[in-house]
Amino acid sequence: MSKDVVSVKDLQVWFPVRRGFVESLLSKEQRYVKAVDGVTFNIKDREIFCLVGESGCGKTTAGKAILRLVEPTGGEVKYTGPGLTPKMIKEVADHAVAKRIKSKKEATSDVASGAVDVRSLPKDKMKLLRQKMQIIFQDPYESLNPKQSIYDIVAEPLVVNSLGANEKEREQRVTKALDDAGLRPPKDFMWRYPHEVSGGQRQRVGIAGALVLEPSFLVADEPVSMLDVSIRSEILKLMLDLRENKGLTYLFITHDLSVAYVFSDRIGIMYLGKIVELGPTEEVIKGPRHPYTKALISVVPKPDPRMKTDKIILKGERPDPAHIPPGCRFHPRCPFAMDICKQKEPEPMFVSQEHWVSCWLESGEGKR
Amino acid sequence: MTLLEVKDLKTYFKTQEGTLKAVDGIDFNLEKGQAMGLAGESGCGKTTAALSIMKLLPANGYIAGGTINFMNQDMSKVTGDKLRAIRWRDISIIFQGAMNALNPVKRVGDQIVEPIVLHEKVDEEVAMKRVKELFELVGINPNRVREYPHEFSGGMRQRVMIAMALACRPRLVICDEPTTALDVMIQAQILQLLKNLQKELELAMIIISHDLSVLAETCEFLSIMYAGKIVERSTAVNVFAYPQHPYTKGLIAAFPNIKGDRKMPASIAGNPPNLINAPVGCRFAERCYMAQDICRREEPPLAEVLPGHYAACHFVRPMKGAT
Repeated sequence: MSKDVVSVKDLQVWFPVRRGFVESLLSKEQRYVKAVDGVTFNIKDREIFCLVGESGCGKTTAGKAILRLVEPTGGEVKYTGPGLTPKMIKEVADHAVAKRIKSKKEATSDVASGAVDVRSLPKDKMKLLRQKMQIIFQDPYESLNPKQSIYDIVAEPLVVNSLGANEKEREQRVTKALDDAGLRPPKDFMWRYPHEVSGGQRQRVGIAGALVLEPSFLVADEPVSMLDVSIRSEILKLMLDLRENKGLTYLFITHDLSVAYVFSDRIGIMYLGKIVELGPTEEVIKGPRHPYTKALISVVPKPDPRMKTDKIILKGERPDPAHIPPGCRFHPRCPFAMDICKQKEPEPMFVSQEHWVSCWLESGEGKR
Repeated sequence: MTLLEVKDLKTYFKTQEGTLKAVDGIDFNLEKGQAMGLAGESGCGKTTAALSIMKLLPANGYIAGGTINFMNQDMSKVTGDKLRAIRWRDISIIFQGAMNALNPVKRVGDQIVEPIVLHEKVDEEVAMKRVKELFELVGINPNRVREYPHEFSGGMRQRVMIAMALACRPRLVICDEPTTALDVMIQAQILQLLKNLQKELELAMIIISHDLSVLAETCEFLSIMYAGKIVERSTAVNVFAYPQHPYTKGLIAAFPNIKGDRKMPASIAGNPPNLINAPVGCRFAERCYMAQDICRREEPPLAEVLPGHYAACHFVRPMKGAT
């Protein structure tokens, strides 16, 4: 059993809704956009864990909250991956106790398990940890500064973190990162600008920018959705190679179930801020249990007109995370909704050793 | 009767670096009520082909050759008021990302009333009645005609755009990436709507997409474009069942199939050629695993290789007697 690199427990990101003057006079209750509303999962060493869902389900926010690019409002994110020193673990635990974020007992258990609680990390230490936890963004056309050369883009993380003793060492590290990202020979690419290379190569630049810090955990937010189909799998293969050669662990965020199917080891289906089903990829795709998962799988367009399948097309659009329905949050769109679904939120129920689902249909109470 | 006949269409752009041959000799026909998919990577000329039909090219673009025949009129001779009459009344287009092009300060109903009044010389009341019917047709509550675009979600705005395209009962609708910015669930809703409308109204449709799986679900016929040329053309079923051109094969293999085995799809190495200095010979040769000397010397013609199935490759044997 390989150990966890990242474990997330009850992660919560709520954004307060700004109130108008009248509303605040009437002292109405503060409302929140519950983008991520209690998400729990763990990612094992060298695993590709995939979060799938429609836009607005909170998958990107969850990914960013793990790196604290947005501040989580609740829950726990623990990092136990490589690159931690015992001193750092101890310091973070002490900090958490001093700031009364954690009890002494909790802090001691963190130290014992060699974990760092990302949420209680002070700002300067977070910078250190981010060298180990990096992100690749969705849009290689917008996430690269058009006025910087590829060298400057890739070297920037080194500058920000004051790494690399001199220019020569920096150049070596940039060269290596470009080479690792498949931009070969690096010398041909280094002094070009983003508009001079193709879309696939731009995404490789984005990957090189993440690799230059030698991270062990990468959040990849829709890394191939902006790319032409003919080059998508090249980028995915590169990511697999990097896992092989550098022992990387991935959180892969996508709306595309068919990509998730071929690429990931385990998959979590998100709906309106919560994971509704989680399990090994093959098991979830071939034997989905949650009605939402079943519907999502059924509407994936098949690349063959001879495959006619029955589609479960859900009515309506995704509801608003500022007004989450009571009970099971999927019940207004669920074709199988029962009375209990409107009242009580279902707890995760295991249907096999590693595969769980939050649905009343799977529990004794739901079954008639 | 053939509704639309495109023959050897060439659309070029003048740029600072030289003439960019975005579309370089494509042919296709479309009958009444047929849906054709135009597939290819970004930059292959599929949108330019559509804009040429509508004569909506930007200032530096021009039709350098070939003919476009729509309902027995030569489109190159149609200009001015006559052209304006054809657009929207006979041919309409739904642009990529058009749902974001609605006027934010005008009620959506009024935005559709406008073209109806303009094209059909009816009064606003009659036009508004039509808009309500259209809303019903595309699955929006007719009471929402008085709402503003921001009150609609992305999928609903796309339905408004479809209603708008259908406002003057066109015979041909061109959809440029109709579902690209939408979620899978909404995409499924919109594709189903397009399919139903096509059947009900006997619409001819050209659907442009980079996503072969979207076209597989909606179109009877499929043309695969690469670097300004159609490299393969047949019924959708045959293109998927018997792909002939190496590019088509590569493109189909590049799609992960959720119903199939769990394996990484193949990719096509390299990038499409620069269309300012397009290579001599087959334009796909540089990325083709089968390429031989002849491919770099001679351009393969689009030949009939199976009944009604055309491909442009030196290594696909044409049918006997076909030219």
